[in-house]
Amino acid sequence: MTRLSSLRSALDRKGYREVAVREWRSSVVLEGSLPSWNDRVAAGFVAAGFKYKGVVNDLEVPGLARDRWSEPSLRDGALEGAHFDVVIIGGGIIGASIARELTRYDLSVALLEKQSDLAMHTSGRNDGMIHDGFGARPGTLKARYNVRGNRLWTEDARELGIELKRPGSLVLYPSPAAHLLRPLLSKRARANGVDGWEFWSREKVAREEPALFPEQHGALFLPSAGVVSPYKAVVAYAESAVLNGARVSLDTLVSGFDQEQEADRTRIARVRTNRGTCFARAVVNAAGNWADVVAGLADDRFFSLHPRRGTDAILDLSTGAFLKHIVSMPSFLQSRSRTKGGGLVKTVEGNVLVGPTARELPGREDYATTRGELEELNRHLRLNTRLSPSQIITYFAGVRPCTWEEDFIVERSQQVANLVHAAGIQSPGLASAPAIARDVAALCVDLLSESRQVRPNPRFEPRRQAPTSLGQLSLEERSALIAAHPAYGRVVCRCEQVSEGELVDALHSPIPVSSLDSMKRRTRTGMGRCHGGFCTPRVMEIIARERGIPLEEVTKKGEGSRLLEGPEEPADPPATAPQGEEVSS
Amino acid sequence: MIPRTRWEVVVVGAGPAGLAAACAAHDAGSRVALVEREARAGGILKQCIHDGFGVVRFKEKLTGPEYAHRFLMMAEERGLAVHRETFLLSARRENGRFVLVLESAGQGVFEYETPALVLATGCRERTDRQVSIQGDRPAGIYTAGLAQHFVNVQGRLPGRRAVILGSGDIGLIMARRLTLEGVEVAGVYEVKSEPSGLTRNLRQCLEDFDIPLHLSTTVTEVHGKNRVEAVTVARVDGSMRPIDGTEQRIACDTLIVSVGLIPENETAASLGVPLDPVTKGPFVAQDMMTLVPGVFSCGNALQVNDLVDYVSETGETAGRAAAAWAKKTEKDEVGEASRDPRRLIAVRAGEGVASVVPQFLDAGGERRAPVFFRVKQTMRQGTVCLARTDGGSQVHRRRHLVLRPPEMERFELDLSRLPEGTAEVRLDLAPVEAKRAGAEGSVEEPRKAVGP
Repeated sequence: MTRLSSLRSALDRKGYREVAVREWRSSVVLEGSLPSWNDRVAAGFVAAGFKYKGVVNDLEVPGLARDRWSEPSLRDGALEGAHFDVVIIGGGIIGASIARELTRYDLSVALLEKQSDLAMHTSGRNDGMIHDGFGARPGTLKARYNVRGNRLWTEDARELGIELKRPGSLVLYPSPAAHLLRPLLSKRARANGVDGWEFWSREKVAREEPALFPEQHGALFLPSAGVVSPYKAVVAYAESAVLNGARVSLDTLVSGFDQEQEADRTRIARVRTNRGTCFARAVVNAAGNWADVVAGLADDRFFSLHPRRGTDAILDLSTGAFLKHIVSMPSFLQSRSRTKGGGLVKTVEGNVLVGPTARELPGREDYATTRGELEELNRHLRLNTRLSPSQIITYFAGVRPCTWEEDFIVERSQQVANLVHAAGIQSPGLASAPAIARDVAALCVDLLSESRQVRPNPRFEPRRQAPTSLGQLSLEERSALIAAHPAYGRVVCRCEQVSEGELVDALHSPIPVSSLDSMKRRTRTGMGRCHGGFCTPRVMEIIARERGIPLEEVTKKGEGSRLLEGPEEPADPPATAPQGEEVSS
Repeated sequence: MIPRTRWEVVVVGAGPAGLAAACAAHDAGSRVALVEREARAGGILKQCIHDGFGVVRFKEKLTGPEYAHRFLMMAEERGLAVHRETFLLSARRENGRFVLVLESAGQGVFEYETPALVLATGCRERTDRQVSIQGDRPAGIYTAGLAQHFVNVQGRLPGRRAVILGSGDIGLIMARRLTLEGVEVAGVYEVKSEPSGLTRNLRQCLEDFDIPLHLSTTVTEVHGKNRVEAVTVARVDGSMRPIDGTEQRIACDTLIVSVGLIPENETAASLGVPLDPVTKGPFVAQDMMTLVPGVFSCGNALQVNDLVDYVSETGETAGRAAAAWAKKTEKDEVGEASRDPRRLIAVRAGEGVASVVPQFLDAGGERRAPVFFRVKQTMRQGTVCLARTDGGSQVHRRRHLVLRPPEMERFELDLSRLPEGTAEVRLDLAPVEAKRAGAEGSVEEPRKAVGP
C-alpha cells in the first residue's frame, strides 16, 4: 500500500471520506470541506502521522469566515528601491533575535513587522517561561533547540541587559504511583540533555515551596527553567540589532515577492510591501502565525499552521510572596499531549501568572478571552493554598503557530534558493530563540557566501545599555539621577512606580513607538493593580508632548485605536489586499 | 546618605481626608508634613465638578473643587504647605517610629521620620478585568473615574456612544455628564437586582435624562479589535452568572465601568496593619488609630464613603488623635509606646449589617464616637440596635424608615453608656414587627434630604 492510500484509509476510518488528499512535492495536501473546526483539526493530525515533509491542510469549514491578517493602511515609499542583504519578515522573538545575530556580520539587515510595534502577537502574549527542555519529545527540533536555547539565554540576557531569573520548575506528581515513572522521566531528561534535574521527595517539595497544596506526592525538579519579560526581550534583541546597524521597519506588511527562475529553483529578487519594494539577497520567514502564508507568497507552502489559543491570567503583585518556583502538575506525565498543560509561573516582575490553556480555535489573531477558558485556570490556582481567582488583576490570550507535525521548521527552502524558514515556532519558542537565531543566521551566511564572502562586523557591540529603571537602583543612585534629571523624580504610574523620565526614554529609544500599549511593554506603566486608571491621562499627555501630536491622536495600540474622540482618522486602506494565499477557514 | 527630617505628624494624601487631618493635627499643636503625589491637592474632588458636596458640613451644595478649595484655604491660613509631587516609595518601622522613604523631582530621595502616621490614601477603581468581562481588549474601555478625568480635567470626550456598567454613584454621574456633553448613553447596566447608587442620583442623573437602567444585567463581552464596536449584555441569575440565551449585542464605541472602589492600603499592609476583609480598610478604634499604634487611617482609605463630609470628619478625628499620640510618645525613643496601650472593645457587624466602622472602641478613649455602618439588603421599617454581645444592655437603638446598602448610615455613640468590663458589642438590624409598622400606616420611601 502506498503512503497516500494508507492516509486515505486512515481518514476513511475516521469518517472523513469527503476529504480529498493529494501529494504535492514532498508534502500532502488535504482539500474539501468538513463540518466543524474540530474535524478539520482532527484530519490534520491524522495526516501528520504519515511522515510527509509537511501537511498542507486546506480543508474548509462551511460558514466560517476566511481568516485574515490585520494590515496597516500606511502607504509610503520608505523602503522603495532599498537594497538589503537579508530581509527578515516578522518582528517577534524569532525575527528580532535573528536580526541581532546577523548584525554580527558585515551585512545590511532589515526587520519588517506589519504591526505598529514589535512583539504584538505570540511573542508578547505568553508566560515568559524559558523552558528547561524536559517537555519536548526526544529527537525533535524542539528538544534540541530548547536545551541549547535555555543555556544561551544566560549570555544573551547579560549582553542585552534584560532580567533573567531561573527559579526552576517543579513538575508535581499527580499521584503516589507516579514514582514508578521515575525511570521513564530520567530517560527523557537524559535524552534531551536537560541540565541539573533531580527528584524531590514530597517533604522536600513542602519545605521548599511551603504554600503548595498538601496533596502533592513529590516532584521532578528542573533547575534550569527560567523567566524573562517576553516583550522586553524582543525589544532588547531588536534594539541591539538597530544599534549594530540593522533597520527595523514597522507598519510594514510583505504582500509578495518578485522571483526569478534559476535552474530547478527560484530566487527572490525583490520583496513587495506597503512601504515600497526593496531588494533582498536573502529572506528569512519568521512570520509567526502567518509563516505558511508568507511561504505561499514564494510558492513554497509545504506546511500549514493552525492556531492554538492559550489564555493566561496575572495575579496581584502581592501574590509573588507565596511562590518561589514554576509549578505544574500535568495530568499525565508520559505525555502524548500536545502542550505542557500550564501551571503557575512567577513572572520576572514578581507577579504570579497562571496558565496557559490550550484550545484549537480558528482565528490566528483572535485574542478574545472567554469565561470558560479563564475558569479552566482555577485548577492550577488550587495547587497553591494562598492563591485564589479574586487576586487576578488581568488576563489575556495568545495564539501559538503550530504545524501539524508539532515541531519547529528551521531550514533553507528546498524551492527558493535564498529563503530560510523559521516557522511553526510555538512553545518552547521563547526558550529556543537564541539557538534558532544562531542557526538561522548561519544558514543565511552560508547562502550569502555562495555569491560573496561574508565578513564579521568589526563594530558589532554585543552589549546593549538597558533602559534606566529606577526600581533597580539604590536610593542613593536614584537620588543622584533625579538631581541630574528631575523627570525621573516624577512618578507617573503609581502601582509599578514608573517615572516620567523612564517614559520619555522609551519614547526616544532606538525603535520609536508611541502607543499606550507600547509604553506598557517597555516600562510597565499601567500594568499594576489599578490597571491604568490613574496614569493613563498623564502617559497620554507625555506621549503627545514628546511626539508633538494632539492628545486625541494618541492610540492604545496603533492605527484605529484612538483613546479619545477627535477629528476623523484617515479612511480605511484602499483595497490592495495581499496577493498571497491565505488559509481559508 | 539619604537626608532625614523629623515631624510630629505625617499625613499621606492631600485629598479631603488628608487636608482635614493635617489641619486638625496642626490645630492640636503638631508639626505636620502633608505629602501628595499629584501636582495639585484635592484628590479626586478635582474632577468632580457636579454639586452636592458639603451639605452636612457647610450646609450648602458645593462642587468638588469648591469643597476642596475650602480645605485648601484652611491649610493655607495655617501656613501648612502641601508637599506636592512627592511620592511615597516605602514605609517601615524603626524604634517605634515610622520612616517614610519619599521622592520628588526637586529633592530626589529623602526620608521623613514620625511617631504618628496618617494614611489618607483614598481608593482606586475596580476594573473591567476584576468583574470578568471577556472578549477583545480594544481602546474605549474606561473606568468611570478615568472617563471623568478625560471630560472634566482634559476637556476631551472618550467616545460618541457609551454603555455604562454599574449603577454606583460615579457611573450615574458620568451617565449624566456624558449626556450633557453630547455623548449618547445607550444604557446603564447593573448586575445586582437593586441600583447601587444613591436614590438622589438615580433621579437626577438617569430619570431626568431618560437614560434606561437595566437591573440584573451585566456586560459579558467586548467586541472590536482596535476600538470598541459593541458589547454583549446578558441577564444574570440569582448568583450573578449570565443566563445563556439572554445575550444582546449593543453597538457602542465606549464602555464605562463603574463597578466599585477599593481602598488603597498597600502602605498600611506593608506596615503590618490588619485590614477588615469587608471594608478593605484597616481596623480602627474611634480615634481612627489602626491596630498598629501610631498609624491612623481616614477617608476612603478607611472605607468607601458616599458623603465627602464623612471623609473630612474621619480625617479630622485622625489628625487630632495623631497629634495627641505624637505628644504622648514624644520622649519614647525605644518604642515603649508601640505596645498597644488601649483596652479595645470589639464592635461586630451582626444580623443584616454588612460593615461597621470603627471596628473597635477604646474603652479609655473619647466618649463620643461616630459609628458608620452599611446594611446588607434594603429594609423598610428596620431597627438598628447596638448591644453587648453577651446579651447585655443596649447602648444604641434607632428606627429607620428605610435602609439601603448604598447609603452609609451614621450615629453617635456615647461610650459612657457602655457598662464597665464590656468586651464586645454587636450591631444588629431587625425588621420592625409587622403589627406595629402596620399600626403606623404605610410608609413611603423618603427622599433623602441630604447627600450627593
